[in-house]
Amino acid sequence: MNAAALDVSQLRSGYGEAVIVRDVALSIRPGEIFVLLGKNGMGKTTLLKTVMGFLPRMDGRVSLFGDDVSGLAPHRIARKAIAYTPQEQALFQDLSVRDNLRLALADERWFARGLERVSAYFPFIAERLKQRAGTLSGGEQKMLLVARALISRPRLMLVDEITEGLQPSVIDRLAAVFKTERDGSGTAMLLVEQHVQFALAVADRYAVLKLGEIVDQGAVKEPDAESRIAGHLAV
Amino acid sequence: MNSVPAPGVSALASDTLRRRSDLRRLLILAIAALMLITIGPVLLPTYLVNNLIRAFLYASVALTVDVLWGYTGILTFGQSAFFGIGAYAAGLIFTHAGFSPAHAALALAAGIAVSALAAVLVGWLAFYHGASPLYASVVTLVLPIVVAQILYSGGNFTGSSSGLSGFDSFDVSLEAWFRIAGAYLVLLTAAAWLFVRSDAGRVLVAIRENEPRCEYLGLNVSRIKILLLTACAVIAAIAGYAFASVQMVVAPEYAGFVFGTELVIWVALGGRGTLIGPVIGTLLIDVSTAYLSGNLPFVWKLIVGLAFVVVIVALPQGLAPLVMRMFRRGPKLHADKMALQPASEEPLAGLASAGRHAIALAGVRKHFGSLQVLEGIDFQADHGELLSLVGPNGAGKTTLMRCIGDGAERSAGTIQVNDADIERKPPYECVALGVGRKFQNANTFETLTVAESLRIARTRLRKPSMWTRAASLELPDAALRVIQATGLDQKATVQVRHLPHGQKQALELAMVLALEPSVLLLDEPTAGLTKAERTLIGQILVELTSQHRLCILLVEHDLDFVREISSRVIVLHQGRIVLDGTVAEVVESELVRTIYAGGAGMGAAQR
Amino acid sequence: MAQVFDVITTAAILYAVAAGLLIVFGVMKIINFAHGGFLTVGGYSALLVTELGLNPWWSAGFAFAIGFVCGMIIERLVVRPLYARPLDAILATWGLGIILGQLITLGFGREVQFVRSPLSGAIDLLGASYSQYRLILVLAAVAVALALGLLLNATRLGLQTRAVIMNESLARGLGINSGLVRFLTFSLGSALASLAGALITPLSSVDPNMGVPWLVNAFMLVLVSGVSQLSLGVACLVLGGAQVLVSTYANPVLGGLTIVVLAAVLLRLRPQGFARE
Repeated sequence: MNAAALDVSQLRSGYGEAVIVRDVALSIRPGEIFVLLGKNGMGKTTLLKTVMGFLPRMDGRVSLFGDDVSGLAPHRIARKAIAYTPQEQALFQDLSVRDNLRLALADERWFARGLERVSAYFPFIAERLKQRAGTLSGGEQKMLLVARALISRPRLMLVDEITEGLQPSVIDRLAAVFKTERDGSGTAMLLVEQHVQFALAVADRYAVLKLGEIVDQGAVKEPDAESRIAGHLAV
Repeated sequence: MNSVPAPGVSALASDTLRRRSDLRRLLILAIAALMLITIGPVLLPTYLVNNLIRAFLYASVALTVDVLWGYTGILTFGQSAFFGIGAYAAGLIFTHAGFSPAHAALALAAGIAVSALAAVLVGWLAFYHGASPLYASVVTLVLPIVVAQILYSGGNFTGSSSGLSGFDSFDVSLEAWFRIAGAYLVLLTAAAWLFVRSDAGRVLVAIRENEPRCEYLGLNVSRIKILLLTACAVIAAIAGYAFASVQMVVAPEYAGFVFGTELVIWVALGGRGTLIGPVIGTLLIDVSTAYLSGNLPFVWKLIVGLAFVVVIVALPQGLAPLVMRMFRRGPKLHADKMALQPASEEPLAGLASAGRHAIALAGVRKHFGSLQVLEGIDFQADHGELLSLVGPNGAGKTTLMRCIGDGAERSAGTIQVNDADIERKPPYECVALGVGRKFQNANTFETLTVAESLRIARTRLRKPSMWTRAASLELPDAALRVIQATGLDQKATVQVRHLPHGQKQALELAMVLALEPSVLLLDEPTAGLTKAERTLIGQILVELTSQHRLCILLVEHDLDFVREISSRVIVLHQGRIVLDGTVAEVVESELVRTIYAGGAGMGAAQR
Repeated sequence: MAQVFDVITTAAILYAVAAGLLIVFGVMKIINFAHGGFLTVGGYSALLVTELGLNPWWSAGFAFAIGFVCGMIIERLVVRPLYARPLDAILATWGLGIILGQLITLGFGREVQFVRSPLSGAIDLLGASYSQYRLILVLAAVAVALALGLLLNATRLGLQTRAVIMNESLARGLGINSGLVRFLTFSLGSALASLAGALITPLSSVDPNMGVPWLVNAFMLVLVSGVSQLSLGVACLVLGGAQVLVSTYANPVLGGLTIVVLAAVLLRLRPQGFARE
């Protein structure tokens, strides 16, 4: 099946009359990790929310694995095996670890197997199933988020700034988990990031978003990719 | 900050002409209505005359509900309570003390006094800073319940469930009462019409549209609402007094919440926010009920209920706009142009001087429960500085802005604006100390025009008229500059919701500048703007600091923008200031690079 | 001792009446003013059972079913379009309450009527002679609370509902159809209101406006409880108890005002009411 995991063309969206995302086009192949870089306020989160159906489009199309999903409600898009991890308020703080994981599954019968898989990545989860998610440490909460995204075996993951506020050791671990998933299950991923080193370590291809527009794209292993990226993101 | 010569904007004569024709139209309609009312009792059958007296008085109360709900956004079920208070003031005094001119005057005074007191009490409960609209409506619902129950439990004194009847009253014929009640309604409607179209009336709409914005423009919204409620309470009480005097019967149902909700239903069906809609709606429905409920007792009420639900769901503006659309030619109601002129400026009105520092923060902390959002914030900023606050998401930048604009926001520490401690002052008092805050999204009044919005922004310094609309508006230079540079002066009569995003941002900035602040807090002013718009805003901000000596505090993500215009940059990270210096110092800082490269790799310092 | 029973039974009755309103408020963030109308529907369902000569114990189930169906229709037609306009939703549901009341009047007439109580007479308990039916109501309220608690905490749908209550946007992003959750919640809330109506009618009588006084008390209790069943229980005990005390020692009419006035003042001083945070 050769349809792109995610195909966005001429996408325009924003809040009210403010245009935040302007004419964005990008394409993610199945089984590839794609990173979207950009500083704060450049429209990365707005783009993810539009793809996921939370924001109406002003123009353009979004299709997932060949299906045009422009205009679908978020829960329908999620049911197409798309896992979305928002940047803020991403966990149900008052629910247990177990309940947070359960909610990501369409069918509870897959819970045991899914839990086994994600516990292999993050052993602490199996030990803390009853703990309230809000009482986990920052790093553990982020790992739980990744576990929740993975437990449902998504075809595509949309992850918004997962590395923010994390210790280097945890970041390395997540990088390893992402790569293992990509290699083992062929999961495509769109990671929105500001952490350039992490992005370079994990991704196959990248794009830089600036003021709502894509100003650079390419493969991560190109020799000048890093310097180009640094140029765009310089403080 | 002295006045500069007028930039050549002139008053428009056609505008004054239109105002006069509107007033003339009002006068003609009012006189026609009064004439109809004078001859009415002669032509109409007695049964109808009787019903119309009641309907006129109900319509007066419905008018107050429309002003409160349709214009100001306060959904109130409680106007019936004030009506009942006025009615029982008459009923009680005439029953237990007899009737005489002195008693009549006493009863009227008592009704007005008690209803005003009740209104103040309800207002204190319902309109406190931060109250939710749901809670306010709930309190207005509780009032008539309480009043009715007090009346029910009053034994022989209040007549309990049977109420009071058979007391003496004014020796006035039914026809005369018809004229009195009708005149009361006509005059009230005319006055209300003048009021809602006046500058003061526009403030009500502004409150309905965007209450926080009003508070940050220096308006004491709670007090305005309480005053409005008190005035409406007195009007309803007078109607109740008249009602009791005509009918010579009072019963607790008149003060109860079923009547209170009926008023809301009539206003909704007639057309909230139109004045004439609720009046006509009340007259039609009440009179129809009198005639039809004899024949189709429960079906009629069912029909009204159904119409009400349908209108709320499908036609929330009510039926009046539909009818009006058939008759009206087309021009919008708010087509008045307004002349914009430079104002003689009163920066820091009331303050002795510009203060040693524009803002000074010491030991400011903020926590949400166990989450520490700001810690140990110390810095000062002076007039003429353009200070940018930068930092990753969640660093606490917006929280810091909020703390400066609202004295109640921080958990600890002191904040001074122009050397005055803001203590725990609410936003409207911080505005009086010189703070002007522009919010992140274009935070404006959607259905008001550009000119009206600017007028609202000047309300703190220029009391608006309650009857007329000023033909010209004075604005300080800074605001005028923004208006002219962004082309808003050509769009004075355009409704804000029709403006493109960039101009809305500019309008909000101009509104805040119209306050004549000495400290300007800007939260992401360039969000959603095009490159050209950003450059323009940047130029304006620099002028504001260099020429107008404002102190600007800016939260921004667009670091190019920050680099171009700032005189100083403060970097926040995890709630603390990590760097405070010039643009060059910050840009070259290794620390900042690490922060922005992501990850909290700043050693072991973790939350 | 009888007074203690009074407090407990009053609290139980209030809880049964308010439970349906609580879940609707939690999930949909609106106060359903048709709740009083549904109470009346429940009362008249019980009347129907009496008139049809059936065993009065059937009225509870019968009322529940009718309430559920009515709730489904109303959610679809009236509440759903008003999702973004909560104050208007209050008005529209109030209008619906009027419509329900009028339909019932047309169908049954407006006189006060009486329902056969499934259980009559008093029982001697802990030294006081007390109405059996009122004590049964305590059991009924406890059963409702337990059933609701089980539904919310032990079923998958309940988990999804709690997720929607906490963060609707996040729930949708995870694939939960929040529109369906709202639909079911409203229907259940209406069914519970109807059930409560059937349960309380043997205590007094039915008339087309019986639901109105309960509505006001119920929503004040809900506002004061936030979204927690436990808080609601506490609120019912505290405020219900206050009502009993005021009615007994001061004035029954003022007693009727106690809940409403105390709740309004409490909310002014502490906007979260009895809820934890």
